[in-house]
Amino acid sequence: MDEKLLKCLDRVRKPARYTGGEYNSVVKDKKDIDIRFAFCFPEIYEIGMSHLGSKILYGLLNSMEGVWCERAYAPFIDMEEEMRKNGLPLYALESGDPLREFDILGFTLQYELNYTAVLNMLDLAGIPAFSAERGEDVPLVVAGGPCVYNAEPVADFFDVIMIGEGEESLPELIELYRRAKQEGWTKHAFLQEIAKREGMYVPSFYKMEYGSDGRLISVTPTNGAPPTVRKRVVSDFDSAYYPDRFIVPNTEIVFDRAMVELFRGCRRGCRFCQAGYTYRPIRAKRPETLERQAKAIIKNTGWDEVSLTSLSSSDYPCLSELCNSLVAEFEPKHVNLALPSLRADSFDLQLMENVQKVRKSGLTFAPEAGSQRLRDVINKNLREEDLLNACRVAFEAGYNGVKLYFMMGLPSEMDEDLLGISQIVKNVISVFREHARHKARGIRISVGISTFVPKAQTPFQWVGQISGDEVTRRQRLLIDSLKIKNVTYSLHRYDTSFLEAVLARGDRRLSAVIYSAWKRGCRLDGWDECFDAEKWRAAFEECGVDPAFYANRTLEKDEILPWDHILSGVTKSFLYGEYMQSLRGQATPDCKAGCRGCGALSLTGGTCDV
Amino acid sequence: MYKVRIRYEKRDKLAYISHLDLMKALQRAFLRAGLPVKYSQGFNPHINMSILAPLSTGHSSICELCDLELTEDELSADIVERLNAVLPEGLKVSGAWTPQSKASEIAYCAYDIVYFCKMDECISESFVSPVIIEKKSKRGSLQADVFDYIQAISFRDAPEGTLCSCVLKAGNDTLNPVYVTASLQQKGFIGSDVLAKYTRTHIFDKNCQDFV
Repeated sequence: MDEKLLKCLDRVRKPARYTGGEYNSVVKDKKDIDIRFAFCFPEIYEIGMSHLGSKILYGLLNSMEGVWCERAYAPFIDMEEEMRKNGLPLYALESGDPLREFDILGFTLQYELNYTAVLNMLDLAGIPAFSAERGEDVPLVVAGGPCVYNAEPVADFFDVIMIGEGEESLPELIELYRRAKQEGWTKHAFLQEIAKREGMYVPSFYKMEYGSDGRLISVTPTNGAPPTVRKRVVSDFDSAYYPDRFIVPNTEIVFDRAMVELFRGCRRGCRFCQAGYTYRPIRAKRPETLERQAKAIIKNTGWDEVSLTSLSSSDYPCLSELCNSLVAEFEPKHVNLALPSLRADSFDLQLMENVQKVRKSGLTFAPEAGSQRLRDVINKNLREEDLLNACRVAFEAGYNGVKLYFMMGLPSEMDEDLLGISQIVKNVISVFREHARHKARGIRISVGISTFVPKAQTPFQWVGQISGDEVTRRQRLLIDSLKIKNVTYSLHRYDTSFLEAVLARGDRRLSAVIYSAWKRGCRLDGWDECFDAEKWRAAFEECGVDPAFYANRTLEKDEILPWDHILSGVTKSFLYGEYMQSLRGQATPDCKAGCRGCGALSLTGGTCDV
Repeated sequence: MYKVRIRYEKRDKLAYISHLDLMKALQRAFLRAGLPVKYSQGFNPHINMSILAPLSTGHSSICELCDLELTEDELSADIVERLNAVLPEGLKVSGAWTPQSKASEIAYCAYDIVYFCKMDECISESFVSPVIIEKKSKRGSLQADVFDYIQAISFRDAPEGTLCSCVLKAGNDTLNPVYVTASLQQKGFIGSDVLAKYTRTHIFDKNCQDFV
């Protein structure tokens, strides 16, 4: 390690985040490599290293001959300060080489509040933020991840944005880049060629025109780019690449465990949930495949926990068979099974008990809204009886705590819906008093309440977020109603939810705002100690952009949305139909009861494993 | 049941992992190596192991010790090879044996400290007792002469600057080698921003023999 890095490491908290050298990290001989790719995660190590998608793509790219994929994360503020002081540029963890020497930097965009961290990482690497300012000798800067379903706010920063699943698009991007490099193409020639491929969005090839009222009035493709860019998906999910050598971190990360992916997509159709629409259609793995993958990962990592991940694990058809065989395999080895994302209406105590033989974890449910009326509006098909029933069964079995997640500021929400939250909490307490096996221990309920953020490519993409004053009023109402013994609650701060709403439905005029906010010192905006609402306010003002125009405005039916040219497979007319249903207070049954024709089937040519 | 003492290096990138992280890293390596580790009884079973004489985060060592309980009665002959096949770079096992003494018998540790600067040629003659330091411990801080804790110390030139080799008290009343650096700074032999790299080279018993 070089002396500059040694100096930095002595002065920062948790230096193991910045050294690399983890078991199963991939080190290749540079002489066998013609493409160097840096997988960049614009968050700190502990978060980035917990992300399953990165692990899959890291393994996949390193399985390609001649390609070396390394990792880079956003340094926390103390490390950033030392790096700047000591003149140490941002480096990749495997080789320690500066990012500037790489062929391609690939950022994953998981969360809108990570955008300033992208700019900070580019700056620490000595690379200009705007793609227009990057010449031929600078790495190609690309992006992927869930935020790309409206990537317009960061459109000016990336050369290529990959829409959909990276297992499909990344190898293709790399192969074309290799050809371009061998044949000496210009960057422009490469972009023109890649823009013809499915799922490859070259933002600089699209011209936006705005009306006098600020609304987008036209999107014009140039340089032969197609008018729309459609998401890429893995068709044969069961046999898709999956790594069996996850990197084992040397320091504790958020999800420090093995993961297998039960299925992609979700049949529930909660109208606020972006993942629920953009990961369609549903594709499941066979239990044998999952079992084989879980065993291999545990053997190769030494982890003591396997998590079965998906958007709604209870919807996996063979869940209890799979759990039984995994428990039989892992219990004697002291390996725990974690089963997140369970639904209260299909809560199965025997399954839960079976799974938690090694270590007991908590119970978490997400009713999302406090009244049946509002749950119908958001299409969260969960009845209070189901929730109370699940709690009763769990309390009888000896559980004495539960976490409940709700949202506030949902479309059509009224005060009585909010007060319904405390009523549910009180009802859970009554169930405990009546049925708990260990009444004397007392109950612990923690309630988490976030503020609704309308997201692109969902039925609620047209809905404006409620104003700041209204959020404050409703939060006060909630706080007063939740002063109940044995109940703790946490509310998300409003200003970050507001910024998230601005960026989630923004257009590319926001690139200048993000740049200005970063220039003023914003980075890692998801961290309370870093977020500075005043700097963001100044950035909006400097650029003459009204954030409320994006966050709070309810959009018109015939309006061109900034993300209309990005196709997730689910059609705009389907989303609008769902929006209309919500205004009528009507729920839509989940896909199991019959295909609703959302459009996502077209992506796989007819496969959907509902 | 069998108890084994494992000696290993912790250096380079792995020098920067904390004591708790190291416990995890070793436990995972034991499992990858398929060692018949013994778990504790109780609600939350864990692997029965302990690290002797914990090392500060950021310091290297070529002589760390860890005790581990195995369910089998005999030590498999290839335990060193099996572990080294599954350890991250920076951790390397150099020996395994049946413990001969209790952890409480550790009395001294030897360190090499590399200072990235040249020092006064007569440093060995001029760095002498008393140097009063403020020594912090769990029970609070106390004033002490650093030389009460130094069994031996010497300086010589090194490619990076200066190498200081020292033997310091360890065990119950231990001295972290950073106090040697603090003392040198206090006396003006090195500046406050000089880079110092620490490597533990021996763990000793009360006779300054290798602790086994």
